[in-house]
Amino acid sequence: MSIKLFITLVSTPWPESATLYQPLKEDQILLSDCASSLAVQAYLRMCGLPVQVVCRANAEYMSPSGKIPFIHVGNQVVSELGPIVQFTKAKGNSLSDGLDDIQRAEMKAYMELVNNMLLTAELYIQWCDDATAAEISRPRYSSPYSWPLSNILAYQKQWEVRRKMNAVGWGGKTLEQVYEDVNQCCQALSQRLGTQPYFFNKQPTELDALVFGHLFTILTTRLTSTELAERIKSYSNLLSFCRRIEQTYFEDKSS
Amino acid sequence: MAAPDELFCWEGDWGLPSVSTDCLVVLAYAQFAGAPLKLKKMSNPWRSPSGLLPTLRTNQKENLTRPSDIIIHLRKQKYNADLDLSAKEGADSLAFISLLEEKLKPALIYTFWVEPKNYVDVTRRWYADHMPFPLNFFLPGQMQRGQLERLRLLRGDESLESGEELEKELYRDATECLNLLSQRLGSHKFFFGDTPSSLDAFVFGHLAPVLRSKLPNGKLQQHLKTLENLSSFCSNVLLLYFPRDGREGGGLKASSPPPPPEGGDFDHVPNKRRKQVLSALAALGAMLSYALLTGMVSIQQEALEEPPDPEPIGGEGEAGEEIH
Repeated sequence: MSIKLFITLVSTPWPESATLYQPLKEDQILLSDCASSLAVQAYLRMCGLPVQVVCRANAEYMSPSGKIPFIHVGNQVVSELGPIVQFTKAKGNSLSDGLDDIQRAEMKAYMELVNNMLLTAELYIQWCDDATAAEISRPRYSSPYSWPLSNILAYQKQWEVRRKMNAVGWGGKTLEQVYEDVNQCCQALSQRLGTQPYFFNKQPTELDALVFGHLFTILTTRLTSTELAERIKSYSNLLSFCRRIEQTYFEDKSS
Repeated sequence: MAAPDELFCWEGDWGLPSVSTDCLVVLAYAQFAGAPLKLKKMSNPWRSPSGLLPTLRTNQKENLTRPSDIIIHLRKQKYNADLDLSAKEGADSLAFISLLEEKLKPALIYTFWVEPKNYVDVTRRWYADHMPFPLNFFLPGQMQRGQLERLRLLRGDESLESGEELEKELYRDATECLNLLSQRLGSHKFFFGDTPSSLDAFVFGHLAPVLRSKLPNGKLQQHLKTLENLSSFCSNVLLLYFPRDGREGGGLKASSPPPPPEGGDFDHVPNKRRKQVLSALAALGAMLSYALLTGMVSIQQEALEEPPDPEPIGGEGEAGEEIH
């Protein structure tokens, strides 16, 4: 970030009109995007920063990096959890200040674990599993558009994701292997969480937000098979972790 | 006892058992876990059973190419370097390996394959020198295109211009990753206690090529050298588990004279004799065919005397000698 931008960021406070953009919730949004969006929402709530969630069909194209979600704060547009965390840190809101160096290293490593395994597994299941792609992903992704654009966009996205899977070495994996990887990831997260309320003692950090976003979305999204949710349900401390964050930070929505 | 599995991997250089990160990870893990492997070092990926290096050919004639798959296979055969790890350490292992893959690997791909000076002077030259004719003409370029594509897909960018912006961003992530690793390692010998585990293998595989190769544009290399504990970690692993290769890289080969200090690697072309013979044959063949085609040299076939036929042939009998 340039010095000028940095100074601008530090000086302006968080406006009331901050908005978070994501695809249409009922018809269009997919598992992976919903998880990322929920993670950012959880993080902002944990920081106490108000944000309005706006659903737009072309959110993916509006985003500066092409990824969901992105926030529009003042005259800045920032996408993805990593840059958003840095952005809020520059404005003086940070959840990880109380951590020492080793804990911060572990936090970053576990965040990458979630990105590397959980997010990739979600993308794989959505786009590389033929049943799910045909029944759920392609229809939902292209729902705002009419034929033939819907077909073109859906297949283009599928093709792009499949190439990415090949590049990271997941192209040759079977669905069973992917479920096993998710299991390993959840086991690692469960081990790290142990019996604590949050990953690092009593205060939540961006890692908690990220894990909550992904696990909660997987548990509450209907897919072609419930195998993924079942794997997570076998770890009781992760379940209570999700419930705790939902009750603490999201309950006011329903009341 | 079943025959050991075969591992096909890239040749070594710069004092390392292999120049490729994935090969180094597998080799290091095999050493840590004490797995007996039949090593086949080569510089021609087409000769490996799967077309890619590294490849592990198991006893069931299965070919595994991903390092994580190979490690899982070795673990199933009871060669497990992570036995002594507690559950939490195992979880940390997984997390830090993910950190390496997400933050360090793109920068490594950039350093070796995208950055123009490094690619031309070091990477392409090494592969072109070590690959047999005629692969050395097109395979390095093909590998580079593959790596570029991989980098683009890893970052999710539509276009990838090798420029200042990209380099700054990638190196920023990579230096942060290196700092985090250094903090986690602290002053310990290995990441978890006194015995190495799979995380040590992955870290070694990623860091050793950066440390040991001579890169013209070596920003990442310089930063890594300032992190003393990581540099001594790599040297330690090399000393303890790959003593032979470490000595060779020091320039004291028993059979051949020691190579000159700096520009040495560039002059030492492997298979020199074979290449000289092949070039001489090619030149000779070219000259001969030119001579034949332009008619300077022509091969005349003299009609040899035909042996007498046992049965008389009508026409010939009258024109030639009369045989009664």
